[in-house]
Amino acid sequence: MCRNHATVRSLLAELVGTSTGPAVADMEAGLENFSRGTPRHADALLVVMEPYFRALETGARAVELGRELGIPRVEAIANKARTPEDEIAVREFCETRGIPIAGWVPYDEAVLAAERSGRAVLDASPDSAVVRAIAGVVEKFRDA
Amino acid sequence: MRIAIGGKGGVGKTTIAATLTRLLGRREGGALAVDGDSNPNLAVALGLPQSDAMSLPTVPRNVMERRKDIDGEEKLMLASSPEEIVRRYGIEAPDGVRLLILGRVGHAGTG
Repeated sequence: MCRNHATVRSLLAELVGTSTGPAVADMEAGLENFSRGTPRHADALLVVMEPYFRALETGARAVELGRELGIPRVEAIANKARTPEDEIAVREFCETRGIPIAGWVPYDEAVLAAERSGRAVLDASPDSAVVRAIAGVVEKFRDA
Repeated sequence: MRIAIGGKGGVGKTTIAATLTRLLGRREGGALAVDGDSNPNLAVALGLPQSDAMSLPTVPRNVMERRKDIDGEEKLMLASSPEEIVRRYGIEAPDGVRLLILGRVGHAGTG
């Protein structure tokens, strides 16, 4: 798989100034990406975190490693919070570690329903809370 | 703008990456999605038919080649320009998104 890491890394590096438009790389889960420098040339790293300890811990480590790679903008996306307590847990965790939160994407049945029907959530439920939250994140990324 | 999406497995990276890419594609008149996660889920999350997801073309290993850099050090580099790679292997998805899928599980240990 190491060639995949190298390919993603090189693509991100060489996409600058091309006509391909903005690029989003959905990286392999976990932290191996960072030891291989896969996201090194990204302008931004968004680390998706769920409100439970292991996901937050892995996320915080990813943020730290992303910063070490010199990625200019490293932020979290808080995903699948179901309750105010979930939100507080994520907010406190990120505040303590100085991690900015680019967006709050709530737990939403629309995602599961879309997955079950084999469709994109954007097509199946364009007005869902999930889609609105991600649109909010997109607003924060204008040709930076 | 190049955005990498990371996180622990199962936290919803792929849904977020797909939706983000399509919304960027709408706004910017096109966008590129790179599936580095070796699974076909990004394609489905982008809105491509599930029946096609397993048979979509992937970016072959030989888009990378070993070459000497200016210091004479051997490195893995792209064998052609990113535009050429997107043109050849990019899969068309809604909202002007083109998808590059890198490898699949089952090749572990061969990389």
